[in-house]
Amino acid sequence: MRVLEVGGYAAGYAGRLFVRAGFEVVRIEAEAPPAWASAEAMNSFLHAGKERIPQPDSLSELASTADVVICEGARAQELLGLGFDQWRTKIKIAITPFGRTGPKADWEATPSILYAMGGYTNLMGDAGRAPLTLPGHYLEFQTGAVAFSTAMAARLSQGEANADIGMLETLMSLSQFTTVMWHCAGEIRSRHGSDFWSVAPSDLYRCKDGWVYCNVVPTFWDPFIALMGLPELIVDPRFETGDSRKVHRQALKEIIAAAMAELTRTELDERAETFRVPMGVVRTLDQVLVEAHLEARDFWEPVITENGQPVRSPAVPFKIDGHRLNGLRVAELSS
Amino acid sequence: MTGPLSGVRILDLTHVWAGPLAVRFLSDLGAEVVRVEAPFSRGPREVSGMALGGWIGGEPAEEPWNRNAIFVKLMRNRKSLCIDLKHTEGRSTFLELVGKADVVMENFSARTMPALGLDWETLKACNPNLVYLTMPGFGHDGPLKHRVAFGPSVEAMSGLTEIMGYGPDEPRNTAMALMDPITALNAVAAVTTALERRSRQGGALRVEMSLYEGGVSYSGPWLIDRQLNHTPRSMGNRHPEMVPHGVYRCLGEDQWIAIAIQNEAQWVAFARLLGLDAAWDFDTRRAYEQQIDEAIEAWTVHQDKLTAAESLQASGIPAGPVNTVPDMVADPQVQARGFFVPFERFDTPMPGTPIKMDGVDPDSWTPCPSLGADNERVLKEWLDYSDDAIALLKQAAVLADRPPS
Repeated sequence: MRVLEVGGYAAGYAGRLFVRAGFEVVRIEAEAPPAWASAEAMNSFLHAGKERIPQPDSLSELASTADVVICEGARAQELLGLGFDQWRTKIKIAITPFGRTGPKADWEATPSILYAMGGYTNLMGDAGRAPLTLPGHYLEFQTGAVAFSTAMAARLSQGEANADIGMLETLMSLSQFTTVMWHCAGEIRSRHGSDFWSVAPSDLYRCKDGWVYCNVVPTFWDPFIALMGLPELIVDPRFETGDSRKVHRQALKEIIAAAMAELTRTELDERAETFRVPMGVVRTLDQVLVEAHLEARDFWEPVITENGQPVRSPAVPFKIDGHRLNGLRVAELSS
Repeated sequence: MTGPLSGVRILDLTHVWAGPLAVRFLSDLGAEVVRVEAPFSRGPREVSGMALGGWIGGEPAEEPWNRNAIFVKLMRNRKSLCIDLKHTEGRSTFLELVGKADVVMENFSARTMPALGLDWETLKACNPNLVYLTMPGFGHDGPLKHRVAFGPSVEAMSGLTEIMGYGPDEPRNTAMALMDPITALNAVAAVTTALERRSRQGGALRVEMSLYEGGVSYSGPWLIDRQLNHTPRSMGNRHPEMVPHGVYRCLGEDQWIAIAIQNEAQWVAFARLLGLDAAWDFDTRRAYEQQIDEAIEAWTVHQDKLTAAESLQASGIPAGPVNTVPDMVADPQVQARGFFVPFERFDTPMPGTPIKMDGVDPDSWTPCPSLGADNERVLKEWLDYSDDAIALLKQAAVLADRPPS
């Protein structure tokens, strides 16, 4: 199967999945949108294994030779300009920030604009301070995954497909419980720093040499107390139930913060394992790169950057029959 | 169901968020889904207090277990088979269903399926063409395999927390369990990939993935940058390649607007609007970023967030209001595209699908079924069970249609 990829990081991520699944991907090179990492890193992550070519005189002709086209435009109008609707490809997937129709189809967008409009920004950050946007390329990669899956499903059906995928709608389709909370309980969810709020304790705490996140739903309360070495909390009536812990969350937070400050990352990691509590010690990027668990699970794939430097890139995050998708061969990596 | 996955049969044993969300995407694409549920899986018969996301119809009513809005939101287009898999007859009935399915999906801990006697070898023996997706928090092997995983705690381990927050000394968690929807979409990609592979080569396929790896994979560009001796850093609402880029206070309590300048043309238009120097290049803007941000907020603080966004967009400047949910639902773009779909009971609007294509038809969606609503239908349609056989299963409490008392 031959895939033609046109556009930014969402199309790039979809193409990345196609390459790993063993398909031939031709990418039309274009000016890259602003990124959260260097161009060398973005290209190594997204485009290894693809044939990358400049835009030809006739994109339509090239599209007609592909089985699938993934085409991302900065606005709906941009797809019309490319002649997308005239392309005779069997499976065509369009990605735009707001979808191809509607009064804002040609609005200018960045991920930060879409997070704001999609209800995410309002929930991130501290009460009383500016809300936070989300760094990185999460939305583009999520939309790319939707585009990839749609194309694969269409291929399974042996039919034709012409899909219109909007990034804002991708975001809204992934909302946790904010929309039903409004529609069914009449409540507007608000932001509380790192506190998940519907669970107590759930927050990011400073430990002796770093940070750790605890998310202690009621099932894990007893083992959490044991983990922290705070047996007195068991008999404290303020913390008897999940609901009472929410009422007294500030007092609880202070007790945990004081105890947490005496423990190291290593100690907390070991105790999370021993006591089986949902706790995550914050890893820096350098620590993620040497995480023994990822190493043991064959998580990294070797890539040679366009400047000839060997690096390790995350593999596709699933295995089929015990193997990572192996469509990417080392010989192809520097293309 | 219509859609490209029409004809694909899925047995859904997933729970919480990532798994059910993945199955919802597959059902939107047309897959036929039977949700295999334990009698206690939706909670107890009687409840005290409020459900976090409220109740469908506003009240728990007589069957609260069928009305929890957070659960219902994820459960469209399913048939419900409420069966006790710990019962010998329940387990054998389930294995018969496996023989008729294309896909089995679960996100239990690594220990659960083997403990139920439903390990991969057993499932495969029932169906030599089965696609089986399993997604425990940290996968089935490796030193962390028995670690308990929830979205917020896994996020802390993924690398994101080093970059997310108000600055290097003030890291923040999204507090939205961001890893769950990432994993859901990875699962959809994994299942469609496996089905495509099966269509070419046949045979059973076991797909294994984890919440943790899904999160780390999205940190990929930063992880590569570190190896190239670059240092990604926490910048609050600023951006390494856009100046200005931020969230600015608007008129009214807790009202904000996001603005981002991607290129020189946008800067020229924006600078003219605010009376700033249109000739400043990126480096100059970076040097004066604080002053620029202050100038922007001096303007936005007197503006209604929506009016300001529309005005900036009219000049070709990326801007958007920081929406609450009611703002978002009322957005003319969202309305025009019919994103929220009132197919659920009491006409409750539910988030739709981002995939608009022929065959993906929200008008054909069905609401979340009541627990065990399709017990008879599934056993008859899939396994050709007789009324007597079904009655025996009910008598033995293998089948149920309400939580245990």
